[in-house]
Amino acid sequence: MTFNHFVRRLHLYLALSLLPWFFVYGASSLPFSHPSWFNSIYDDGVPLWKLRFARPYERAVPAGADLRAIGAEIMKDAGVEGSFGTYRPNDRELHVYVHTFWRATQIKYFLDRKELRAEDRRFRWDHFLTGMHARGGFENRQPLAFGWSIVVDVVCIGFLAWIASGIYMWWQIPSTRSWGWLALGGGAALFAFFLLRL
Amino acid sequence: MFSKIVRRTHMYLALFLTPWVLVYAVSTMVMNHREFFREIYGGAAPAWVKETERPYRAASPADAPPQAVGAELLREVGLDGAYNARRDAAGVVTVVRQDPVTPKRIVYRSAEGTLVVEREQFRMPAFLERMHRRRGYQHPFALEDTWAFSVDAFIVAMLFWFASGLWMWWEMGATRKTGALFAAGGLALFALFLFTI
Repeated sequence: MTFNHFVRRLHLYLALSLLPWFFVYGASSLPFSHPSWFNSIYDDGVPLWKLRFARPYERAVPAGADLRAIGAEIMKDAGVEGSFGTYRPNDRELHVYVHTFWRATQIKYFLDRKELRAEDRRFRWDHFLTGMHARGGFENRQPLAFGWSIVVDVVCIGFLAWIASGIYMWWQIPSTRSWGWLALGGGAALFAFFLLRL
Repeated sequence: MFSKIVRRTHMYLALFLTPWVLVYAVSTMVMNHREFFREIYGGAAPAWVKETERPYRAASPADAPPQAVGAELLREVGLDGAYNARRDAAGVVTVVRQDPVTPKRIVYRSAEGTLVVEREQFRMPAFLERMHRRRGYQHPFALEDTWAFSVDAFIVAMLFWFASGLWMWWEMGATRKTGALFAAGGLALFALFLFTI
């Protein structure tokens, strides 16, 4: 196998392996770019969040405590599973946002009135796509969630490999060099213009 | 002929959009390792560095919406462009001009009659994340709409690369079996994630 052959096959097989991610990142960028259009599709009077339960609850949340650990305990008490993040918007509330690709639940603990509320989000395809797009990070040590984040890194490396191998393959076709330079230079100039003027 | 058009479009589009691909790839990696990069900078948010401070009295009424005051202040300091503005309880109007490289903060204290311009200390991870997140047609500026259009064009290009890549693979008979194995492997892994996390 020659180097040229290796580069071509790398470009192709890497793309085929990562095809689902490539498609999802492309398609899911649409609702990010046009949120109002997608919101109008679901503007049907059905509330975004539906109450699952509201019940008395009491748990100490000391200042400087590990919020993630407390969030995990609250999830256990609420009987909710999934990847999660814990936030404290103010002194009176603690929010745990639990999500999978298909569903999302927010659990709100109101410290002042000692109440726990859980609400489920209605399923929306735009949220499904943006949820996949935004998923990443290594805070969640659950093996498969961790694995997803590793694949996100692989996809990023894949993009860089496509740039490098794509430029190499372009250079191997001398008849396309002039137009290629124009495309490459034009894109770089436009991008630089945006950087300087936005 | 059709095949050649698909191949050339795939290639020239990729060459033109190379900077976008590069920024989206590197910024995604940075966001995927946000905690790591935060620790590099000691965990603190980037500092605002004062550039100028001068006396100023806004022409906008005291009860004008902060967005309107923000537009006046940005014109005054020659920084027209995408921004957000807010007024705190003490009446201080803070405007953040969303420059991708160097965001600026303009603070107007009507009680003291001062106008302060600050710039955000440059950090590569923050710059990349700003570029990644910049999108949409919500700002009343033609240049912002042009950038948003370039983002839309990039999305269309990604979907085109997806379809044209499949087409070009299928045209190369010798790679069909191995290619199908890689595609099936990727699809299986994706399905595993889709139904388990």
